[in-house]
Amino acid sequence: MTVNVSMTINGEAVGPVEIPEDLMMAEFLHEYLNLTGTRISCEQGVCYACSIIVDGAEGGRIMPACVTGALWCDGRSVRTIEGHATRDDEGRITALSPVQEAFLTHFSFQCSYCTPGFVNAATVLVERLGRQPVPRARLEDEILEAMNGNICRCTGYVRYLTAVRDVILATPGLVTGDEGDAA
Amino acid sequence: MKRVLLVLAGLFVAVIVGLVLLWFAVAGPGPVPPATVSFTSLAPDERAALARRGEYVARAADCMACHMSPEETELAGGLPFETPVGTFYGTNISSSRRHGIGDWTADDLYRSLVWGIGEEGEHLYPSMPYTAYHGMTRADVDALWVYLMQTRPIEKPNIPHDLVFPFNIRPLIAFWNMLYRPDDRPGAMARVGDRGEGWHRGRYLVDVLGHCGECHTPRNLAFATTGPHLSGEVLEGALAPDITPDGLFARGWSPQDLAQFLATGLSPQGTPSFRMYSVLDHSTRYLAPADIDAMVAYLFDGRTDVEAAPPVAVAADRAGDGEGHRLYLGLCAGCHGSDGQGRPFSAVPLQGNTTLMFDNPRNLIRVIDEGIPARRLGGMMRMQTMPAFGDTLSADQMAALVNHLRERWGGRGTEVTAGDVADVIDDDD
Repeated sequence: MTVNVSMTINGEAVGPVEIPEDLMMAEFLHEYLNLTGTRISCEQGVCYACSIIVDGAEGGRIMPACVTGALWCDGRSVRTIEGHATRDDEGRITALSPVQEAFLTHFSFQCSYCTPGFVNAATVLVERLGRQPVPRARLEDEILEAMNGNICRCTGYVRYLTAVRDVILATPGLVTGDEGDAA
Repeated sequence: MKRVLLVLAGLFVAVIVGLVLLWFAVAGPGPVPPATVSFTSLAPDERAALARRGEYVARAADCMACHMSPEETELAGGLPFETPVGTFYGTNISSSRRHGIGDWTADDLYRSLVWGIGEEGEHLYPSMPYTAYHGMTRADVDALWVYLMQTRPIEKPNIPHDLVFPFNIRPLIAFWNMLYRPDDRPGAMARVGDRGEGWHRGRYLVDVLGHCGECHTPRNLAFATTGPHLSGEVLEGALAPDITPDGLFARGWSPQDLAQFLATGLSPQGTPSFRMYSVLDHSTRYLAPADIDAMVAYLFDGRTDVEAAPPVAVAADRAGDGEGHRLYLGLCAGCHGSDGQGRPFSAVPLQGNTTLMFDNPRNLIRVIDEGIPARRLGGMMRMQTMPAFGDTLSADQMAALVNHLRERWGGRGTEVTAGDVADVIDDDD
């Protein structure tokens, strides 16, 4: 059985594309759209290397592309690792997103296989705090909760987490309360 | 007028006096047979062997399911149980003399397990399943006592039960006992002539030690398990299904499947969920293969798997398209397979899955809404986390998905509405 799906990916309309009805998003991105930045690892929805952002009325939501069917994204708006950087008219990257930049300056990753998933998870967190700021005292817990599903086998997470914290503290309006000590 | 009042007052006093006399007549325990061993003259190796046997009794009786802490420290107590009459908290049964049962004698333990009377003569609530343990042999109680007395003392205070009036008046349990506590000779359930040793051992493990009926047998208004034995009941918001032979066959269980389920938690019909997971994790996975076989022989009453008849799909044409099918492919098929075949240790097969076959859709709705944590199974196996989809799906979408699953693999054509879904979710939030 095949179905036609259409969706918005990184701001661009895609489709209708005819695909097998049970095609997963990871294969759809790789094999039909040549968007190969999404990393396939465990293929059972537990490592979050393949995370994509599915946008909805309540903001972006992380979904594991390996076990999320393309049918779920039919008619929705999706963001992948390819969509974060700013590009010029010819598609060349001119600037990275603040999260990407922070991961580089903090040496957050080594092999980079998990990085697209971390970028997406951190971006969704930053966006959420923009809508619903949290008290400074809760920030570390919020970060850990938001990034806890993402597995990294190289660096031990600390540099990822501090990079995310620095991006959040450097962005106005994401935390409430006195930044120095307990309010 | 005065005379009428006097008569009424007299009647009132007579009723009270009668109830008090009745209470004294029924409040106590029944007979306590003498211990089967002389505890003081046990050689160290005899005591160790008896303690090992007692630990096995504790496993078979699943003491831990209730008497662990919320952090799963076994015997420490503190786990809450929500019932219509209030919240019960499992008690500390470690050898702590202050908070546990370290100062109990073997007779005290016997009296509490078989008659529901505590060490100080107080009435235990029937949430402690003494109506099932009533059939325990004195030898098993003695072994259990030796085991419990040599466990590590856990110095953790008990949490008082939080019950609504009048259930918070303990002495009233005497009247409940009068009505519902078995009064036949304990430890001696009548033998059934044409059934073999295995069947009888199975009955002891299922009905007495395992106290399966505490969840699986329907309860009456007084919360006593008086309904058809093991025919299924909703407790704590989850259905403990019908596990009579007919019920099991109707959902496609064979004796082999059930033995595998009890020993490892893996079966073609799925893995244990809700409180049944705790039963696997703290009890059945520790049982000897012969005892598992005995339980299965009793539960199937000696019938064989030729009778197993899993339901077939209803309204198969609805599987082809429609909202439920699209949702299944979008959110479920990645792990459970396009045809519901599942993936080993990651997602159970939905073909033949027992939860899809219940008339009551409650468990299915709750699993989709809440997900299932990663599980440690028997035989060094594990099962991966199932994510929760409560935040992803609306009640309408969940109803469409539930109907699709039940029609396609459960043989259940009854329509589940968004309102049904909302009711189940609100119940348990």
